Amino acid sequence: MKLTKLLLAAAVAAISTAPLMAETVKVGVIGPFSGPFSGSFGEPFRQGVETYVAMNGQPTEDIEVEFIYRDLQAPDPGRARALAQELVARDGVQYLAGFVFTPNAIAAAGISAQAKIPTVIFNASASAVVSQSPYYVRTSNTLPQVSVPTAQNALEKGYRTVVTAVSDYGPGVDAETSFVKAFEAGGGEVLETIRMPLSTTDFGPYLQSIQLQEPDALFVFLPYGPPTYSFVNAYRNNGLDDAGIAFVGTSETQEVDLQSLGEAAIGLETGYFYSAAHESPENEAFKEKLAELFPDAEPNPATVSAFDGTHALYEMIRATEGQPDPDAAIAAISGASWESPRGPITIDAETRDIIQNVYIRVVEQEENGRLVNREIKTYEAQPDYGVQD
Amino acid sequence: MTNTQRTLGAAAVIPIVAVALVVIFPNQQAFLAQIAITALLVLSLDLVVGFAGLATLGHAAMYGAGAYAAALYSLHVWAEPLTGLVVGILAGGLVALVSALMLMRAHGLTFLMMTVAITQIIYEIVNKSRAVTGGDDGLYGIMMQPLFGRFEFDFYGRLAFWYAAVVLWLVFLLLRHIAASPFGLTARAVRDDGGRVSSLGGGIFAHRVALYTLSGGIAGLAGALSAQTVQVVGLNTLSVTYSAEILVMLVMGGTGRLWGALLGALVFMMIHHYAAEVDPVRWMLFIGAMLVMIVLFLPKGLFGGLEAAVNRLREGART
Repeated sequence: MKLTKLLLAAAVAAISTAPLMAETVKVGVIGPFSGPFSGSFGEPFRQGVETYVAMNGQPTEDIEVEFIYRDLQAPDPGRARALAQELVARDGVQYLAGFVFTPNAIAAAGISAQAKIPTVIFNASASAVVSQSPYYVRTSNTLPQVSVPTAQNALEKGYRTVVTAVSDYGPGVDAETSFVKAFEAGGGEVLETIRMPLSTTDFGPYLQSIQLQEPDALFVFLPYGPPTYSFVNAYRNNGLDDAGIAFVGTSETQEVDLQSLGEAAIGLETGYFYSAAHESPENEAFKEKLAELFPDAEPNPATVSAFDGTHALYEMIRATEGQPDPDAAIAAISGASWESPRGPITIDAETRDIIQNVYIRVVEQEENGRLVNREIKTYEAQPDYGVQD
Repeated sequence: MTNTQRTLGAAAVIPIVAVALVVIFPNQQAFLAQIAITALLVLSLDLVVGFAGLATLGHAAMYGAGAYAAALYSLHVWAEPLTGLVVGILAGGLVALVSALMLMRAHGLTFLMMTVAITQIIYEIVNKSRAVTGGDDGLYGIMMQPLFGRFEFDFYGRLAFWYAAVVLWLVFLLLRHIAASPFGLTARAVRDDGGRVSSLGGGIFAHRVALYTLSGGIAGLAGALSAQTVQVVGLNTLSVTYSAEILVMLVMGGTGRLWGALLGALVFMMIHHYAAEVDPVRWMLFIGAMLVMIVLFLPKGLFGGLEAAVNRLREGART
């Protein structure tokens, strides 16, 4: 009897204090937090989210955001869907975020669309991803978005003939297709399109055959990490630079790989959406906080995508005052513009995809020996040039 | 226990476990559906590894073939689920039959290498046929019609789970029947002493091809279930890595026993899932350590260990 009374009293106390406590909004973040892709994506995602939270606190005084991280190492649609379903149904998340690989993002789209869960894509870069759910928003980029201005820049620099060499997988093919289209539309000539298997590490033969064709420039797309190192070294060692074949790239010199590329990278020109050397107070503040929280972290495009993605989440949470109102949340973020560490960005009101500047950068060595992507030219407010289907 | 009691008891296990899982994990039915599908795949793998005694790293070839075939069928022909399953069975069975004609002439390591090679060839063909398969972006846009024209596939995965569980149950009953049939007994004889079977006039080659084809059909069925319930098919369904993962599940559960396949899939996926949830960064260490322990202390797998423990208890009770 006494015990029952005590429990009752405790229950009453718990209920009466509840309104005083902050409301918790849960966000499920799905990404590769272990395994081979954790260094280039999982860790930067987490760092981006935590840096944003450290800089901005909670969305409002009485709303608290809780991030739930779920590991998804590689493309695995079945697991992606199961994780999203469980986060929504069991853990009660109001928002989803993350996603590195396109098939995973597309598999979770069914959950997002049916359960009406606003979802911020931190990476998955195939053009079609965002159109798969009316509650999808993207804060990274698409390959056509960066390849088209890169092609325009190549034309403006007077390159007339080009050979493209890309890794043979989704993003590589997207980059090739959109580059070729834009380059030919501008009057350039594509001598050959080469697709190299993802597992290639010896690029010598490809580069020698390219050298024989004597193009003005070589357009490249490679995934992050080791293939990029060996490609850049092979480009130098085979003397393509001396032969006057210019290197035209996109994400090859991104910050996560840049220091490891070493001196071979100096002078390479690429077109991409974020450089750690971008000069703005927003970028300085972001880099400072990131370095404070994670001394070993490089400010990386993936980090900034997650940082901006967290901003998008905050905007949606504020607009709905923490209540589940997916349509109002999406309405609030569609058409929103803000100053990101990368520069000004907008979420397209129609497609919910990102519109952003694409910068032409050249790798330089600073006095302290560190390599940076120095921005030399800006193509403003670039949309996704990919075909929406 | 009489034989009938035993059969009925065995038949009741899967439905009972299925109900128990739904009661314990009511909000994770998409995950439970994944377990049921994986269990079906591991079951089919057990036919090759356990019953035929052939170590393979290429079982995903049939699983992926079933998944892509069922996905393409639903996209371009008819989005009815049950006929889609038949398409999956045929695709998996066909890939198995054609590859078995080559594979079954090889033995041991050569056989193992060839299973890997065949899987990689199929993987590359699917990867290159971007226009048809979507390449590594995956094949998507699959919208299934309601099951029996009545039951909609819901995002909670409720129907997906029961659908997969019932298929698993039926296949399990079928395989139990086959395992006890002359065909199943001959399979074991071929495994244990092929030379003797052929000296008695048995056709080893034909027998292995038949068993491999049956196994491929079931793997294709699992693939079709996956395509229909996930609605996206990725290249991972065709990977050697995935073939190795299901082999690990089977070894963990215990090869050569249908129960071992089921138990291995269930336990591995549960531990994998919850370890990754508790520590999304370091959970792989735990899985590795667990596998080492099982190999060291339970050489016959979880089911073998369980059986030994039960027998010991019984003997203890008797004395």
